[in-house]
Amino acid sequence: MHFYESSIITTKDGLHCQVYGNEHPSGKILVKPKYIPTNKISSDALPYRFISGMKMNRLDLWINPKELKKYIDDFRKKYKHYIYKSNVHDISPLFFAVPKNRIEREYSPRKGLSGLMKIPEKDLDPHLQKVAKLITFLLESGLKLNDFGVTYSTLMGHYSPKISDINIVVYGKDKFWKLMKFMESSKNHDLRWKTYEEWEHFYKKRNRHMVHDKDTYIKNMHRKKSEGFFMETLFIIFAVENKNEAWFKWGQEKYKRIGIAKFSGTVNSNKNSVVRPGCYEISKSAFISGEDTCKNLPISKIAFYSRDYCMLAYPDEKIEASGIVEEVKQKSGQTYYRIVIGYFDSYLSEKRDDEYMRVIRN
Amino acid sequence: MAHFYESMLIDTVDGFQCKSYSNQHPEGYIIVKPKYIPKDALDLKGLKYRFLFEKCMIRFNLFSDKEKLKESIKQFRKKFPDYIYECKDTSNWYFAVPVKKIKTVHDSKKGLLELMKVPEKDLDQYLTLVRELVEFLTKSGVGINNLGITHSTLLGNYTPGKSDIDIIIYGKKNGWKVLDYLKTAKHEKLHWKTDKEWAEYYKEHKTSESAHFTEQEYVNHMRRKKYEGMFGGNVFTLFTVEEAKESWFRWGEEKYKPIGTATITGKVTSHYDSLVRPGCYEISDGKFIKSSGENLNIDKSIPITKVVTYSIPFVQQALKGEQITACGLLELATGKKGKKYYRIVVGYFDSYISDRREKEFIKSEI
Repeated sequence: MHFYESSIITTKDGLHCQVYGNEHPSGKILVKPKYIPTNKISSDALPYRFISGMKMNRLDLWINPKELKKYIDDFRKKYKHYIYKSNVHDISPLFFAVPKNRIEREYSPRKGLSGLMKIPEKDLDPHLQKVAKLITFLLESGLKLNDFGVTYSTLMGHYSPKISDINIVVYGKDKFWKLMKFMESSKNHDLRWKTYEEWEHFYKKRNRHMVHDKDTYIKNMHRKKSEGFFMETLFIIFAVENKNEAWFKWGQEKYKRIGIAKFSGTVNSNKNSVVRPGCYEISKSAFISGEDTCKNLPISKIAFYSRDYCMLAYPDEKIEASGIVEEVKQKSGQTYYRIVIGYFDSYLSEKRDDEYMRVIRN
Repeated sequence: MAHFYESMLIDTVDGFQCKSYSNQHPEGYIIVKPKYIPKDALDLKGLKYRFLFEKCMIRFNLFSDKEKLKESIKQFRKKFPDYIYECKDTSNWYFAVPVKKIKTVHDSKKGLLELMKVPEKDLDQYLTLVRELVEFLTKSGVGINNLGITHSTLLGNYTPGKSDIDIIIYGKKNGWKVLDYLKTAKHEKLHWKTDKEWAEYYKEHKTSESAHFTEQEYVNHMRRKKYEGMFGGNVFTLFTVEEAKESWFRWGEEKYKPIGTATITGKVTSHYDSLVRPGCYEISDGKFIKSSGENLNIDKSIPITKVVTYSIPFVQQALKGEQITACGLLELATGKKGKKYYRIVVGYFDSYISDRREKEFIKSEI
């Protein structure tokens, strides 16, 4: 079932969830709970926010893994209806999913932006004025207003004008790539790209500094035109897949866990690397280390859930990927192997830093 | 009749955001003022837009251009007749949400309690100020359980440095306690407008209400009101709401016959109920000064004993012992036992689209 990633869903019991994929099992929407009320479970290890009249925990997957595991264990007990056991995986990874009957409201980035752009500039606050101006600029790419959306705090209305990012959604991978092409050459006096120091600051966060060679990483980030500053506010552009361009369909493949391993390979296509979950098609895979069960397996895809890996590598570049190796059986009967990085479970132990993908310096 | 706190935010199944506009309500309805209406619902002119919760909304403003407001209300009545309550007791109409159309009531009291639980490190500058203000107000002796937050402070769509901090005080007794405390309380972040600032405000924000006051009269009235001030650079507003047991009237217990527009004067015998919406001044020695272009049928043997306001600028306008003058809709009230009196009502919804809009006021001789 198709449902756009990056949409926001509020549940009847007050959770704010971020849709976490474009393909979903029937009757449920895969999500990442973003803000969770503290009346049933709470953790001081997670940040708190006051949203919609409630004290909420913000689910940050990068807190101490032990604290996160404890919180997720509590979540499983108190919100068991939001835990989804996948029947397309032989061992189900942790998925969060909102059953349709628990949805209080769906917030559509596309509808939201359409509403926002109808408002005269004089009635917009400085943050929303920036959003409108950024969109006006992006429309110069030839994309239509209907190809764009706005999400997260801008969509929900709880942004802080001087702090919040602008999160733009582009509907359709082809449209997104077209926009990236436009951004590579476009000039606008309100637009600037991150400096070396700003990318360095970004590099130091999460596990990036443990995974990547600094100079290679920053060099690669400089070619990423989905993230920059517009009128000195950070903007990030996400792609979401239209139904007819999904790189996999939920239920059309079965996944068998083989083990954990690290492989190298060469990127054949990064077309699907702009969405969540994203995918690199690779060839010339070579086993580097890991469980023996994975040795000599030909890996043809690297799938990932973290946006950190979007557009990280380009065709013909050599990459290294470490994660869960799965055997994939397609309905057609064909079999291939893939590495998956960033199932929710991976954040729950110290081993989370072992899952990554990086471009290898030539 | 039913009690439901004034100043509460209500979302309706039709996508409206409304604010309750009274503490007493007819059975099955909540008297409200529509606050935000989805743009697509009506073709409204002359009103401001806001981007709220994924939608382009129109801020419904009773002070917008009268002719455009008339047209807006006409459209509203036609398209959403369920949200108009035709009141037989007052022969007047009100905006109202049928109880069955309520989607969410945002709980001001619970919201504040939740906010106070959030560690300070996780609050932004605006919410930190809200907490500090609330903590300061509790020094009046009114506990946190009798306070609440509303509007953007509650819903989280505030703009730091710009949005007001809107505080609810539950109970008139508590309301007066806080206001009395604020007469003398000091806080480094607390600032009341000076006479000069009120005078400037008067010049910059001339409204149909303030037009009845000279600059000095306006300053004299405003300087002693303590429901609006500045805290840490943000405007704060205190809204007092009535508990069920302290309501100064019960919906349905009296009948009111509209007589016409009139100006009266009288001596305030109680201002205790003047800090809520609707607010009330009890008066004695009430006299008619004039009626407005109509030959009103007035029985001079019936006393004028109340001046009622739905308009916030006229709450806390006069104190006990002061002589007031009020212009508004004259109503003949008849109690359950047949006792009759006259009252003046200022700020009914219909007044904003009639000639009463420019005429209504309440003024104290101070």
